[in-house]
Amino acid sequence: MMVKHRHLLDFTGWTADELLALFDTTDVMAQVLQRTIKKVPALQGFTVSTLFFESSTRTRLSFERAARAQSADVISFAAGGSSLAKGESLKDTLRTIDAMQVDLYVVRHAAAGVPYQLARWTDAAIVNAGDGRRAHPTQALLDAYTFRTSFPGFDGFAGKKLAIIGDILHSRVARSNLELWTRLGATVALCGPATLLPRELEQPRLSLHHRLEPTLEGAQAVMALRLQQERMTSGLLPSLAEYRARYQLTEAVMALAHPNAIVMHPGPMNRDVEISSSLADSPRSVIERQVANGVPVRMAVLYTLLVGKK
Amino acid sequence: MNTVKATLMSGMEVARALTRIAHEIIERNKGADKLVLIGIHTRGVPIAERLAGLIGEFEGVRPPLGKLDITLYRDDLSEIALQPVVKKTEVAQVHGMRIVLCDDVLYTGRTARAALDALIDLGRPAVIQLAVLIDRGHRELPIRADYVGKNVPTSRQEIVKVKLAEVDGADGVDLLELT
Amino acid sequence: MSRTIITNARLIGEQSLADLYLKDSLIEGVNLGGEVSHTFDAAGKLVTPAFIDLHTHLREPGQEVKEDLASGLAAAAAGGYGTVVSMANTDPVIDDPGLVTDLLAKAERLGLARLRPAAALSRGLKGAQLTDFAALQAAGAVMLTDDGIPVADGHLLRRACEYAAELGLVIQTHSEEPSLRQDGVMNEGTVSQRLGLPGNPVQAEAVMVYRDCELALMTGARVHIAHVSSRRGLQLIEWFKAQGAPVTAEVTPHHLTLTDETLGAFDPIYKVAPPLRTAEDVAYLRGALARAVVDSIGTDHAPHTRAEKDLDLLQAPSGIANLEVAFPLLYTKLVLDGVLTLTDLLHYFQSGPAKVMGWPAPSLAPGAPADLTVIDLESARPVTPSAFQSKAKFSPWDGWQLQGWPVATFVRGRRVGS
Repeated sequence: MMVKHRHLLDFTGWTADELLALFDTTDVMAQVLQRTIKKVPALQGFTVSTLFFESSTRTRLSFERAARAQSADVISFAAGGSSLAKGESLKDTLRTIDAMQVDLYVVRHAAAGVPYQLARWTDAAIVNAGDGRRAHPTQALLDAYTFRTSFPGFDGFAGKKLAIIGDILHSRVARSNLELWTRLGATVALCGPATLLPRELEQPRLSLHHRLEPTLEGAQAVMALRLQQERMTSGLLPSLAEYRARYQLTEAVMALAHPNAIVMHPGPMNRDVEISSSLADSPRSVIERQVANGVPVRMAVLYTLLVGKK
Repeated sequence: MNTVKATLMSGMEVARALTRIAHEIIERNKGADKLVLIGIHTRGVPIAERLAGLIGEFEGVRPPLGKLDITLYRDDLSEIALQPVVKKTEVAQVHGMRIVLCDDVLYTGRTARAALDALIDLGRPAVIQLAVLIDRGHRELPIRADYVGKNVPTSRQEIVKVKLAEVDGADGVDLLELT
Repeated sequence: MSRTIITNARLIGEQSLADLYLKDSLIEGVNLGGEVSHTFDAAGKLVTPAFIDLHTHLREPGQEVKEDLASGLAAAAAGGYGTVVSMANTDPVIDDPGLVTDLLAKAERLGLARLRPAAALSRGLKGAQLTDFAALQAAGAVMLTDDGIPVADGHLLRRACEYAAELGLVIQTHSEEPSLRQDGVMNEGTVSQRLGLPGNPVQAEAVMVYRDCELALMTGARVHIAHVSSRRGLQLIEWFKAQGAPVTAEVTPHHLTLTDETLGAFDPIYKVAPPLRTAEDVAYLRGALARAVVDSIGTDHAPHTRAEKDLDLLQAPSGIANLEVAFPLLYTKLVLDGVLTLTDLLHYFQSGPAKVMGWPAPSLAPGAPADLTVIDLESARPVTPSAFQSKAKFSPWDGWQLQGWPVATFVRGRRVGS
């Protein structure tokens, strides 16, 4: 029996069946986007507001597209605009927008926990589009969905292995993928230099490594994370050259993984830093499909949370 | 728990009704040319399949089949308490075709209206007709069926339950009391 | 002349209830009889010397939206405190003798809990230049501290210690090493990694505690280490004490009752510096109280506005307001749960802080200042922040059922607060 979830803040409380049902709904939404009329009236009369305290044009547009494709009305708020004043309390910002009768907020913020705080102050649904380094559930969903749709005759996540390489410490993409894939029955291997790989993340179905070989062994999905320039200047890493030599994902390195393994990246990519240009453009790379899958996945999420609300 | 008040149609009667409807479809459309049978999930699908089979028997040409999920077009979403399962829509060619939408029960007409919207978003049919096994009255919209298996006057406290072998193991139509 | 009788008082160490007499601003004696001008019926409740807090942020001057002398000293009295040492990280910083004089004068006029101001150790709290210790002391400052901001420059602290030692002043340190602390907003550990929040490791405290103790040992200065939050920090202090270092340790009510797990609610009400630590740290701190390794319990009462505490976890200021719940909280969680005796707990609120400062031990003997508090040890009621005297009408212990509520506080022989 499915429980009605109010929010998608992370995957706490979501069962594997509910998550797989989201993927089934995503299939239908993907189909809608293939038609001439890429629109359904499913969310007509609902108002969705994007509330991006941390800017990200790509993700915000992906959500807005997902809302409009279902005939919902969209209100956009982005940091830097006069509408989100610095220092104005979160609560006051929310109250101002709530007055416009918003049914669902898509929130991105540099501080972890903000979606939880907002959920206390409004009756609207909240979808977390990224809070600090903690969680980014829709990214994980589209990553897992891309994996699911990469293999004809896909027989489920149990027994599969996802490898993530890079700055795990600062990555909400890594944390959410870890949470999601293990929930679906897969195992996850995280790999990075000691300064960027927190040992406290230990949990069942997770292995932590500093070398690529054990990380990639048997992995059917391999994901490279973006390495930010600041990591070099803040003393976390000696140099780009050092990182490249030890952790860059290349075709040669991919020989260590499962022969059919796909290559993923949450974007935006630093070509030839964490991933070689040629690998990013190779047939094993599903990076473009990840981006494309963002819209139907988010359509499914919005639909699932809003339907039955009024 | 809903109790069975009466049996509206036996398995045999269902089969005969579908046979008659198949003949009516052929007659009204002057043959099977450009005919497409589209079943509305869930029980409209086996009905469309059977009608397609019957038309194939009588005309020698089996019309193409489609499946339509109208969940994304419903206007009564507030009445959905739990998470509705959205199924896939599989419809090949719509443009210029003579579509017969198939469903098990015609009641308020809202499902049929949603089906019309969904269909029109897929393309521009030449004609859309509606075939149902049971018409139970209480229309809330100006919708009527072109082909009806049986007309059954009902009250709002009653439920019409259509059973089909493909879904429920046996054919038949029961009238249940909401308790 | 005023003479007050407090009837039916239960006094520590006495078997039967007694009537306590106050004459003007001093304790007169027990069961004396005679005419009185005021009566207060303690109705069997505990009567004990008013508490001393060596660590309160009263936010005046400059930050009165969070708290001011009137609300803060009223909150102190409501919490059973007769004397508070106010911190200097106000706006302007209390680094000038004139500001000390002003504060004292204002507090005097209010007639609530006694105010003993601390002054900044460095000008403007910038950690670069020492303030005029002697002049500040002459104006009434009892302690030097840059609390709020750790003194990053070891050389500056060394010179401050040498100078303070000569003047007999206590230096209170906020011991957190800034470069190890980084931008951490909570304890670094399993919980912080799970919650994806920047962590502040225990080592930031340990390293600084070590340095501050070493300087105390070297200079002979009385160094009072504020809000020790971890086992590591406390173990180092124990080690240095064993070598005769003149260091004293303070723990706060929040570090004795809350852990880093509370941050799972993503509510900045739990954001404090140093941060709430693990259950093991809390257990060690409690054990340290039982072993008398700690010297005083200080509140580090740090009020902020509700709006500030509704900011996100990175932006929200650190601090927990707790003057009014400190004693009942620890009475309920430590004494009633059998970790500490009532006498021991009272020591940490009374003679412990007095000893740190070199003040006479609080007592109810004839001739002692008539600073006392009446405490109901029996009735349990929930923490109700809306009824606080403090401007910070919210609390991490909101709704907790506690016993040991102070019902009346007398300072200089007069009942203060409501």
